[in-house]
Amino acid sequence: MIKILVDRKKLSCDEIKNRQNFHSILNKVVAKQPKKIFPWYYGAVGIASFIFVILTILL
Amino acid sequence: MAVNLLYHQNAFRLEDELRQIEIAKKDPRQFAPLYKKYHEAIFRYIYKRVDEEESAYDITSCVFVKALAGLHKYEFRGVPFSSWLFRIAKSELYQSFRDKKAQRTVSLDSVTIVQFIDDLNEDFSEEQRTNLLNSLKLLKEHELQLIEMRFFEKRSFKEIGEILGLTENNAKVKTFRALVKLKAIFIKTKA
Repeated sequence: MIKILVDRKKLSCDEIKNRQNFHSILNKVVAKQPKKIFPWYYGAVGIASFIFVILTILL
Repeated sequence: MAVNLLYHQNAFRLEDELRQIEIAKKDPRQFAPLYKKYHEAIFRYIYKRVDEEESAYDITSCVFVKALAGLHKYEFRGVPFSSWLFRIAKSELYQSFRDKKAQRTVSLDSVTIVQFIDDLNEDFSEEQRTNLLNSLKLLKEHELQLIEMRFFEKRSFKEIGEILGLTENNAKVKTFRALVKLKAIFIKTKA
């Protein structure tokens, strides 16, 4: 259902400006970004897993 | 008809803005000037369409989070940055309506109502005013959007097209059809 508001309270430019918060926007975006992991990490984890599997089979 | 100064920018300002966007793509902290420039326009666009002020601030914040997170996807292909932000605002608005975080609202002032009734070639009276408000409620969402942007916010067809993903001509045709439908409802409810 659509609500129609006539002559609603007008907000001043200063009122809106006072609610600007760029730091909160920036923090939210940074928090959303996945952590960058150095590609070698995957290589090291892969090799360790491979050695672990081989050792498990052998032992 | 009044023009939106943020939309109708000269070539120099547009070029400067594109440079600012490229800098912000590399360093998100440099997005601050663009945020400051468009915050009010985006907030007012949302505020007119939701019933609560706080919801409007929350949705505006979501719009800029999305814009900054997806800034790397923005490329200038004829659509100005402001229209790209309004597109995000439109999609965030509808998401909040779906999630029932906000109610779809049309904000009008008395002067606009008188002007609009005059555009419909009718004489203004209190009865006509009520009739118009009731007729607006009977429009489909896409029709209401067009009427709202063209007649209540005085946007150009080019800008409407860019926000809604239509060509300028298509925006013109669809707005005209929406107006014809509104007029038909208006006359029908009056009779």
